Amino acid sequence: MPTGGVFSGSVNLKYVKLGYQYLVNHFLTLLLVPVMAATALELARLGPGELLSLWRSLELDLVHILCSAFLVVFVGTVYVMSRPRPVYLVDYACYKPPASCRVPFATFMEHTRLISDDDKRVRFQTRILERSGLGEDTCLPPANHYIPPNPSMEASRAEAQVVIFSAIDDLVRRTGLKPKDIDILVVNCSLFSPTPSLSAMIINKYKLRSNIRSFNLSGMGCSAGLISIDLARDMLQVHPNSNALVVSTEIITPNFYQGSRRDMLLPNCLFRMGAAAILLSNRRREARRAKYRLVHVVRTHKGADDRAYRCVYQEEDDQGFSGISLSKELMAIAGDALKSNITTIGPLVLPMSEQLLFFFRLVGRKLINKTWKPYIPDFKLAFEHFCIHAGGRAVIDELQKNLQLSPRHVEASRMTLHRFGNTSSSSLWYELAYIEAKGRMRRGDRVWQIGFGSGFKCNSAVWKCLRSIKTPTNGPWDDCIHRYPVDVPEVVKL
Amino acid sequence: MELLPLLTVLLLAHAVVYLAWQAVSRRRRACCYLLDYACHKPSDDRKVTTEMAGDVIERNKRLGLSEYRFLLKVIVNSGIGEHTYCPRNVLQGREESPTHDDALEEMDNFFADAVAGVLAKTGVRARDVDLVVLNVGSFSPAPSLVSRLVHRFGMREDVMAYNLSGMGCSAGLIAVDLARNVMLTRPRTTMALVVTSESCAPNWYVGTDKSMMLGNCLFRCGGAAALLTNDPAFRGRAKMELRCLVRANIGAHDDAHAAAVHREDADGRLGVSLSKALPKAAVRAFTENLQRLAPRILPARELARFASRLLLRKLLLAPRKHTAAGNKAEGPASSPKIDFKTGVDHFCLHPGGTAVIEAVRKSLGLTAHDVEPARMTLHRWGNTSASSLWYVLSYMEAKRRLKRGDRVLMATFGSGFKCNSCYWEVTRDLADAGAWEDCIDKYPPETLVNPYMDKFGWVNDVQGQGSGFLF
Repeated sequence: MPTGGVFSGSVNLKYVKLGYQYLVNHFLTLLLVPVMAATALELARLGPGELLSLWRSLELDLVHILCSAFLVVFVGTVYVMSRPRPVYLVDYACYKPPASCRVPFATFMEHTRLISDDDKRVRFQTRILERSGLGEDTCLPPANHYIPPNPSMEASRAEAQVVIFSAIDDLVRRTGLKPKDIDILVVNCSLFSPTPSLSAMIINKYKLRSNIRSFNLSGMGCSAGLISIDLARDMLQVHPNSNALVVSTEIITPNFYQGSRRDMLLPNCLFRMGAAAILLSNRRREARRAKYRLVHVVRTHKGADDRAYRCVYQEEDDQGFSGISLSKELMAIAGDALKSNITTIGPLVLPMSEQLLFFFRLVGRKLINKTWKPYIPDFKLAFEHFCIHAGGRAVIDELQKNLQLSPRHVEASRMTLHRFGNTSSSSLWYELAYIEAKGRMRRGDRVWQIGFGSGFKCNSAVWKCLRSIKTPTNGPWDDCIHRYPVDVPEVVKL
Repeated sequence: MELLPLLTVLLLAHAVVYLAWQAVSRRRRACCYLLDYACHKPSDDRKVTTEMAGDVIERNKRLGLSEYRFLLKVIVNSGIGEHTYCPRNVLQGREESPTHDDALEEMDNFFADAVAGVLAKTGVRARDVDLVVLNVGSFSPAPSLVSRLVHRFGMREDVMAYNLSGMGCSAGLIAVDLARNVMLTRPRTTMALVVTSESCAPNWYVGTDKSMMLGNCLFRCGGAAALLTNDPAFRGRAKMELRCLVRANIGAHDDAHAAAVHREDADGRLGVSLSKALPKAAVRAFTENLQRLAPRILPARELARFASRLLLRKLLLAPRKHTAAGNKAEGPASSPKIDFKTGVDHFCLHPGGTAVIEAVRKSLGLTAHDVEPARMTLHRWGNTSASSLWYVLSYMEAKRRLKRGDRVLMATFGSGFKCNSCYWEVTRDLADAGAWEDCIDKYPPETLVNPYMDKFGWVNDVQGQGSGFLF
């Protein structure tokens, strides 16, 4: 039967592929085994007496042995000291908003109806919410609950203090970190940068040292969390024996859009409050209790292209209300940015089998047949866990398709979008907390965090887990992890 | 030669060569050269003349007589002249309702002038830039201004872009610090573009809080772009080499932290409030910074001299404490001062205001000649926030003061409260007048007094509490 033939053919192909992968990835081991076996046989054949006479014939005296030993130690030290310092993620903490800030669908819709007479606007926002993938537990800051919302600087500062200080307090509790031990501070918050900066606010609250190296990144979008990690990593390479505190957040209060342009209403529906505080270190003694080690950070900036640059753009509408417009080409641009990022990160993380396949297919396309489709490497071989920025349901769908991931791989992203909404740069950390809370993080697992943001940027970070994480994790998911995963329908009828 | 010794020698040689190569390449990467820089010169129609300033103040109907008197006092003592620049929306009378596009236009003008200028001057293409660090204090739109820069100049996809914001008047050196640290970690040499400016368009204060009106009198439009590199091939063309950079942040003290705060006033209008504790915070931060800077830049002889004088004073003063009516002359006058002029030839001070410059001059024991660049910058350009020290440097260069081997100290203060300082060595005789080209011959002028007292001095003589004057 044709189908049976095709089925058996595809099964055979699967085994061929598995065999090929095993062969290429373990090539050196497979080569070494027969060589070792031959040597062992040869030695066994010689016998102990002959071995001893062979040893004596080398005419080794004490000087030679000492020199050789010294040399081995010297070369080993040189090698170890010239490696770049490893960067450890000791621990991280995510902000869990209080239940009083909850915005279930009914609250959101009622609020929208009360602050606006524009019926079309209300209907449009309802439609977005129905298809957004958000759940009933997402939270907005207190200022946004007012009728109408109160986006004053004072309220924005209050939100910043609550989310950031809670996250840092939680991190201090988990790690026993002393404020005087923080050497580097990197804060990123895209749409709120007061003077004095949020980093100065943290220095003031926790009485950090006066020679701290602090940086306040702003305006860099939803992928800024990984930019902060990159900066912290560079600072840790330059300064030995240091701790770096990275704080990623997005302050929602000043960014409520009060107009009626459709492309600007989306952020109102999707962005929710959240924050994460991460402790990185390059101290050797932290290696024992650190959770992860940073392996790679790859950044891609598509700003040179007009369409990519305008895709997430803050501007004023005709009535003078400021908001962030999301263009319809967002998905296409995100896919494009991801492809650029993958071409850089692929060779760094993919096993040799995938790289060879990609290379041969590329050569084939160029020389043999131009119609061959480009080979999409199987990233599931390189990573056990994926944290895709929970920008929206469409982004997660697009990436799942592009990277050929199974629903289990994107579960962390979908569930974070459902429970916490789009918390911008800190969403990657909520997703990681989900994976840990589910007890899936084992020692040796590799995690890929992908962030997208205005610019248009696509940034990736690769982490390697250093110890299996036991549940319960005392994280933001603890009280609700038993309910997850939930099935998020395409459309929730409101 | 026998096999084993031969192998040993080869391995040893390899290890030595590898180690030496690593050390050399680390040393090469550790140098940081200032290739060139360009200061922004806005178009002449944006100059703030006395008449224009009067118009702006008159437009604000909320101001009364006491506010006018206060403003007059501030402006007369500010040390600011007639040639500073304001944003276009203030010029057009729209300071109460700035739009997002006004702020972006101000930035675009700056990019077109300074950033394009520095790239053209050095012949570096935008695609050769590996690292961009942009700092604009109080404006951070989405996409970030650094993305706007990347877009406008068509930079590469793998460019490392950082956008700092909210870090105040001393953030120019924070951007340099960031660039320097990232350069140290890259395996290849890096070309870094450091861009600093301040956004005046959306930040004009229109209320009546006196602590916030100071900003309107002092802050003006300006910006600078600099190219830094650690490629030794550029050493011949570079202007200066970075020797050390020290940052001090005393935000842990509450009054220092609250010295400069962007907040709403009692009526809900946004403005930057400068508190009365600001000078004290500045001095404290400056001391903290100098304490860490001095051992790194001053010659050992000066350090030894200072240490010995300090010790002597401690020893001598201890028994004198017990004598009645202690000798008043042995008070602050005899406290030993460390002489920074032994290690520094030129002082590039942040022109925050005449009071700040004077305070720094006194504390470092400098002459009028030393602080002239800062005073002249304040007069010509106003306080352009984080980019002002590049204008001060440009003045020194235009006046042909910078010769090969000279050492320059840059010191800035800013909200937080921070004091950052940076020590450079000049690598060749400099003579580029830059943004000062058309006016350097007029400096220093006969008098720094501006005509505000002449034109508006009658405000002090008016009786009563009237408001809404016609000028």
